[in-house]
Amino acid sequence: MKNKAIILILILLLVAAFILAVNTGAVPVSPWALFQLLFNKIGFKSIALPSQQDLTIILYIRLPRVVAALLVGASLSVCGVAMQGLFRNPMASPDILGITAGSSLGAVIAINLGLYALNIYFLPLLTIGGALLSSGLIYIIASYRGRTALLFVVLAGLAISSLFNGLISAILLFSRRYEVSQFIFWTMGGFDGRMWKHITLPLPFLAPAIVLLFFFTRELNLLSLGEEQAHSLGLAVERNKRLILGTSAVVTGMAISIGGPVGFVGLLMPHLFRLLVGPDHRILMPAAALGGSLLLILADLIGRIIAPPFEIRVGIITALLGSPYFLYLILHYQRKGLDSR
Amino acid sequence: MGKDQAEILLQVQNLCYRVGGKTILQSVTLEVKEGEFVGIIGPNGAGKTTLLRLILGILKPSRGEVKVLGTPLDKLKARERAGRIAYLSQEQVLASAFPVFDVVLLGRYPYLGKFKSRSVRDIEMVQRALSYVGLKGFEQRYFNELSGGERQLVLFARILVQETDLLLLDEPSSNLDLKHEDKLFSMAAELCREKKAVLVSVHNLNIASLYCSRLILLDQGRIAAAGKPDQVLKPEILDRVYATRTSVSANTATGSLNVSVANVVSMASRLRQSSGLKIHIIGGAGNAVNLTRELYRLGYSVTGGIAHDHDTDAKLWQSLDISHYLVDAFTSISIKDVDRAASLVEDADLTLLTVFPIGAANLQNLELARRAGKLVIVTPGPGEVKRDFFVERARKLFEELAAEAIKMSYDGLIAGLERGAIPAESATKK
Repeated sequence: MKNKAIILILILLLVAAFILAVNTGAVPVSPWALFQLLFNKIGFKSIALPSQQDLTIILYIRLPRVVAALLVGASLSVCGVAMQGLFRNPMASPDILGITAGSSLGAVIAINLGLYALNIYFLPLLTIGGALLSSGLIYIIASYRGRTALLFVVLAGLAISSLFNGLISAILLFSRRYEVSQFIFWTMGGFDGRMWKHITLPLPFLAPAIVLLFFFTRELNLLSLGEEQAHSLGLAVERNKRLILGTSAVVTGMAISIGGPVGFVGLLMPHLFRLLVGPDHRILMPAAALGGSLLLILADLIGRIIAPPFEIRVGIITALLGSPYFLYLILHYQRKGLDSR
Repeated sequence: MGKDQAEILLQVQNLCYRVGGKTILQSVTLEVKEGEFVGIIGPNGAGKTTLLRLILGILKPSRGEVKVLGTPLDKLKARERAGRIAYLSQEQVLASAFPVFDVVLLGRYPYLGKFKSRSVRDIEMVQRALSYVGLKGFEQRYFNELSGGERQLVLFARILVQETDLLLLDEPSSNLDLKHEDKLFSMAAELCREKKAVLVSVHNLNIASLYCSRLILLDQGRIAAAGKPDQVLKPEILDRVYATRTSVSANTATGSLNVSVANVVSMASRLRQSSGLKIHIIGGAGNAVNLTRELYRLGYSVTGGIAHDHDTDAKLWQSLDISHYLVDAFTSISIKDVDRAASLVEDADLTLLTVFPIGAANLQNLELARRAGKLVIVTPGPGEVKRDFFVERARKLFEELAAEAIKMSYDGLIAGLERGAIPAESATKK
């Protein structure tokens, strides 16, 4: 009952944040413009479309941006839930485990080799490729001798991140100035200048992949008991782990191709909502997805309005929120151990 | 299948497991039939858990085969296997805030499809299992807020709803108190009466002998002995495997066997034993138990008597293989008995008279004490039960003895003997 209420509140908050984010910005638009557009488009032709200027701003600047924030927030949070459940580690997330770094390596290759300019598909393809590569590495490391201490996986992820970031720096050394600045801008993570094509390209793959992760919530519950128990209850443990991790990598890679490596969402949201709704993945995953969307829409909104005409990019805001929380987590679990979750 | 022919649920053939050049398990062959309660015993590192994990398919054997209900394990899909074998592992379960009901419901996972959710029957089964383990009303309690014993019962309920013929339990009571341990094993025994079979690795040999119909003793990855508890729990077998002196005795209350480490002889006490100080204990009514155990621990060569058969002291002497003189229960000790037992007292360097009530039936024990070369009368400490005399003659006899003998408190005596000091007459004699 309590959990249903939390989901409902999250949905309401998300709708409110969505409307607020579309209506707010450097150029004011009519608060009704979004509704006019919506009702007109779903068939109420009697309702007039908003003014041409409002329509352009909403349709081609604000909406893609807000939708991108919504998608990326949900994707990274869902991946965070999956990875924390998979590794039974409250500190796991796409960025902590180095999967984000893998995606970034893919992105820098795509940008640097000019593939991105050649065909827009190359960016998501290579970010996914990079994400799969690093998740493969982390899977092998985490399966080593079957035992994984709490910080072991985190440290392994750190090592993978360092490796890929080193490779990125090496590639950038040989790049032209323009590409370097483009990449550095990209690594901050943000939704400015997002166009529909950035969303519509990955969406046909991203949406099913997210849905697929939702079908693994029962398996994640089993895994949270421990792998031996999950095995004894009839779960093909390794196959499911590979599937969940692979799907998460694809989702992470695509989310990053949309918004750049927005950090700490995948860590913060699962952890926060586990405290609120409990460890059952069937409820935790949707709650974290909604929460992640809400967080990124608000972070993007705050970044836009806090110091105009400058924009503070989303990745900076989430990093400011996330790093202290991550430090807190490390201290907390170092002191109390895993059982005190 | 014939009527009286029990179906074979599990076949393990020539199972070997090697990892990193080290052999953990070698040529293990065993069968488990329906209705059997099989215990795997053995010292730490004998391969008990490894064997269970191989049977479950968590580990892949280096050689050999596991068949479950006639089908090789690797031919079974994960869910099919989970419908045949349930497993209560020793793995530290992450105690997360799942409601107890949900934890037990996970046991129905093998029967639920990806898109099939729980049915009314599943819910009923979970409720029935919870009330069976005595946790009715715990459905909405959080798993992480339960005690260790309650958690283990919840997990046991979970393997019940899994509805398997074969249950593997890995040290199910390693961190349970006596009550929960007993409950868990009685429930498992009950399942065996319902034609299921249980294969359990146990540390506690007494529990193993009490509940298991058959025992398999593993030693360094091999089967060292197998059979009924009384065939396996023999000191000559156990001493070799556990590399310590064990003692096996019948538990008169349960009819099962009790196994205990009889003597942890330290180097020092072994030396003392070889110095050959002999101590005779005159006791009765269980008053000599502590003293006997202490002296035995200290490595003295101990004799005892005269005791009545079935007396607690006599039982202990029997099971520790201490030579002692016995008369039938409820008979009076005669002067003839004293003559026969006198050799024990005369051989002893020291005779100890413990605090026990003296009446007509055991009066002659004082006569025996009189024949001792060196007699120490143990005096009751402050707050302890005084020596009772039921007949006046006993008091008189005792007072005569006491005039001659050394008197020491129990603690003083043990402390002295621990240092290796023999009570001296001059120090305490009146």
